[in-house]
Amino acid sequence: MGSCLVSRRLVTSRRSLTTTADQWRQIIHERNPGINAFVHITPPAKVPSGHGPLAGTTVAVKDNIATVDSDTTCSSKMLDGFQPPFDATAVKLLREAGADIVGKTNCDEFGMGSLNAYSYHGPTVNPYQDSSDKLERRWPGGSSGGSAAAVAAGMCQVALGTDTGGSIRLPASYCGVVGLKPSYGLISRWGVVAYADSLDCVGVLASKVGDVRRTFGILSTYDLRDPTSATPEARSRSSKVVKKRLSRWDAERDATKPLRGLRVGIPQEYFPSELSPAVIKPVRNVIKSLQEQGASVVPISLPSTSYALSSYYVLASAEASSNLARYDGIQYGSHARPPPGSDVSKTSRNYAISRTKYFGPEVQKRILLGTYALTADAFDNYFLQAQRVRQLVKNDFNKIFSLPNFYFTDPLVASEQSRSPSSSSSSSAAPTQVDILIHPSAIRTAPKMQPTTATSEHKSEATDTDSYVQDVLTVPASLAGLPALSVPAPKRFLDREGDGWPIGVSVVGQWGSDELVMRVGEVVEQLGA
Amino acid sequence: MTSEYSAHTPPNTNVSSFDAALPGTLPKLNPFCVDLAIRTALALQCDIQRQSSFDRKHYFYSDLPSGYQITQQYAPLAKNGTLFIPQPDGTQTPIRIKQIQLEQDTAKSTFNPRTQTSHIDLNRAGTGLMEIVSEADLRSPEEAAAYIRTLQSLLRAIGSSDGNMEDGSLRCDVNVSINRTDAQPGSGTRCEIKNLNSVKYITAAITHEIHRQSILLTSSPEARVEQETRGFDEMTFETFRLRSKEDAPDYRYMPDPNLGVLRLSQERIDVIRDALPELPWTMRARLKEIYALSDRDVEVLLNIDSGRDVRYDGEDPGESGAVKYFDRLVEGVGSSSDSGRQRDPKVVANWMTHELLGQLASQKKTFKQNTISAAQLGELIDMVQQRAITGTTGKHLIRHMLTNPTNDPPHKIAQDLDLLAFSSSQSSPPSSAPHAPIINSTISTSTSTSDPSPSSIPIPASTSASASASDTDPLTSLCENAIAAFPSVVAAAKKGNKNVLNKIVGAVMRESRGRADAKRVKEVVEGLVYGSGES
Repeated sequence: MGSCLVSRRLVTSRRSLTTTADQWRQIIHERNPGINAFVHITPPAKVPSGHGPLAGTTVAVKDNIATVDSDTTCSSKMLDGFQPPFDATAVKLLREAGADIVGKTNCDEFGMGSLNAYSYHGPTVNPYQDSSDKLERRWPGGSSGGSAAAVAAGMCQVALGTDTGGSIRLPASYCGVVGLKPSYGLISRWGVVAYADSLDCVGVLASKVGDVRRTFGILSTYDLRDPTSATPEARSRSSKVVKKRLSRWDAERDATKPLRGLRVGIPQEYFPSELSPAVIKPVRNVIKSLQEQGASVVPISLPSTSYALSSYYVLASAEASSNLARYDGIQYGSHARPPPGSDVSKTSRNYAISRTKYFGPEVQKRILLGTYALTADAFDNYFLQAQRVRQLVKNDFNKIFSLPNFYFTDPLVASEQSRSPSSSSSSSAAPTQVDILIHPSAIRTAPKMQPTTATSEHKSEATDTDSYVQDVLTVPASLAGLPALSVPAPKRFLDREGDGWPIGVSVVGQWGSDELVMRVGEVVEQLGA
Repeated sequence: MTSEYSAHTPPNTNVSSFDAALPGTLPKLNPFCVDLAIRTALALQCDIQRQSSFDRKHYFYSDLPSGYQITQQYAPLAKNGTLFIPQPDGTQTPIRIKQIQLEQDTAKSTFNPRTQTSHIDLNRAGTGLMEIVSEADLRSPEEAAAYIRTLQSLLRAIGSSDGNMEDGSLRCDVNVSINRTDAQPGSGTRCEIKNLNSVKYITAAITHEIHRQSILLTSSPEARVEQETRGFDEMTFETFRLRSKEDAPDYRYMPDPNLGVLRLSQERIDVIRDALPELPWTMRARLKEIYALSDRDVEVLLNIDSGRDVRYDGEDPGESGAVKYFDRLVEGVGSSSDSGRQRDPKVVANWMTHELLGQLASQKKTFKQNTISAAQLGELIDMVQQRAITGTTGKHLIRHMLTNPTNDPPHKIAQDLDLLAFSSSQSSPPSSAPHAPIINSTISTSTSTSDPSPSSIPIPASTSASASASDTDPLTSLCENAIAAFPSVVAAAKKGNKNVLNKIVGAVMRESRGRADAKRVKEVVEGLVYGSGES
């Protein structure tokens, strides 16, 4: 399933590019109707770019990332028919690298959701098929469910997603593909419709880590138009220490023990009671294999993890309530005419009519929660408290990683950093420090779609709480802005008594150590070979 | 914070996608806005905060497309400043500045009462806005007006705003509270009057508000002023209630996750401090103490200076400022000697305030429309001082250069117009004059001052000692001709009535078209009549 552009690079003559571009669209037209991963299919460029490092590579783009040649709806009725006047920086970079943007993918409305159930384009169906061939409809996960499903169904080679609290890693885990949420600030957010600015990351999904790396390499570049884009200085400082770490690893490894010298942390808080045995077993097998290859496995603790989830929901909802204030139905998107006799004496009353009509239930819920968290009475207890917890979560990570966090390059912050133990750039890490973390990406395999509850309106409260608990595994890395990669656990490691659906293994590293994370991800990927 | 803005561009023609709140856009802090705010903070003697931050202020209104305004609620850029305002008795009163914060401006909303619709102009949306908050130190409408005027001239002087209230470049919210004389000052309840856009309206609004609150408070001992936000009616000169404290919106302030924290290096602050333009009060002191100008001249110069161009992003306004123009004149710009020559400040002030400004005023032009460069006026003053032209000719030249703008140096214009003064052998040789002109031409004189038509008395003219066109110098021949034209006067003079010679001097002066010096003419005429000397 899928295709690996590292192993079979596409021919670069123009004619064959055109042919291939048409063939890919043929595949999409055949497979998409049952999956609903694509909400828009872009016709092939009249003059396909025959050069560039991604020449001919088919890329699907999540529908909350601006594309100048098609609608960008964020799966919201509110933005029905909205076509941005610009390309997102990530899309622009892909086009310049010769990539073929094949279409826009389904997602949860404005990225809010973890099943891909909240979309006015209808839900996406998880395309994964195991050998038993039983037909079972499952959720692809969200919010980048369309991107994960498009890759899993072989409708494109690479997909762009966004990850605010796990929106790439969770669907990657459910659909059995690779998904990278890079370090915050490495890929520009210009043109990405904001859900929660301080958490949103553009990331890459593909079948193989190698494809993710090649695409990430194109996208990870400083962008003046994104004020949170990591500065060239921060990038070079962190890549220097990561390179140093990688070369030390290369020097220590040998054929029998390829992972010698690598310190892998297992955070105890990431194995909550909700975790199903079907998930624990394969992850344990992966860890055992890494140990056999020479890695030192270190049990570690991230004590603030239990508060991370509530912190995340307060912060993400607060930012969402702010970011979504612009959808008033006046300038662009859908506008509901006030019914006769309605009170429009205040501007806000007028806006409320469109907002009530065109925002979906989950979006409305989070706007309300976020609005409350920002009110004068609640601000200290909710928003400020959540910010403090976020700092604790960051501190937890900075303590256990052997590499320093270089996201901030201000002298002021740098001097604060030098006081924390994490900044010790000593060649031998403290015994409690690790290079990367490994934990399950999800608490379970893809949930089943109930035939009667396919629409969001019928979803019960219990399901909501479940999906919130799921986020416990993905949210901390988002709060701390760390690179996190979900790689499918090799099939041979899956629990024989389980349901046979994929399980993702998460590899998390210090800010800026995306390459290290992908190297370890590749090792996990190759365990199945 | 992103797009250029002028109050005079057509609506919605200069809008960045961020200011239109298009999904996917991100803000970018304009470093020039920050620099200008630092400049202002330095001029107001504020404590500049090395670390400040940006917050979002939320409310739903049609002039705010994104639903929030980026401002500095929790950690402003500067705090604790002072502005001295002048009192009628000449003393200065300090007014404390609470803080200076950077914000985004909103869009401009205009209501059309005929169609009952609002029109939104996004040109202004997102422009950098600097909010200067003062403490409750102003005690009267007059002090408030003095505060605004002083602040306005300060902002213009340092280039952080043109301070134009009609264009909305400077807008004002005023808080008014009064207390009973037996109560603690400042114990009253304040009412905020929004969006006052002229000094006149500010004064009127405060006056009305004081009146309204005192009537309320004196109506009964229990009466209280309710805290509220009020508007000002420009037709009735009265304030009216917009909303009460209870109706005040909860702005749900939130740290802006995109711009976050603004950190300023001491170096950046120092660079701005070193390049800080001269402040109005320093300028006044310098003009008075160093140049010893009269109070009147100082006021005239400063008044004109405050109307100078304020360039985009606070760039150096150059000679468009009257004081800068004056300084350059005193420094010797346009002087013929390479090193430049200092000029007498009083002479310069006289030429600038009386002649140049006078001519501009009579031509109904402002100083901004002045087409004479400092170098040109400097050379002109030098020529008068060195008697290459007379004062009268100097004034004539200024008028001419204002009506016929040119880059030519004044000596060339004077030469082209045949306005160079008659030389006299008693004065220093003209070759030492800045631009020794050699003129060999004839001019026509007329016996009638009002009739410029050519007359029959051709007089060769030359100011050059080396000129060979005439054996006698032109002034002498002019005098000789005049004497010849008034034999009866000469006779009377020879009888002892010396005063009658003024008639001949006057005729020479008229015919010289201002090129001759009256004293010198008198000497020559007397010499010719009484034969006591040869010129």
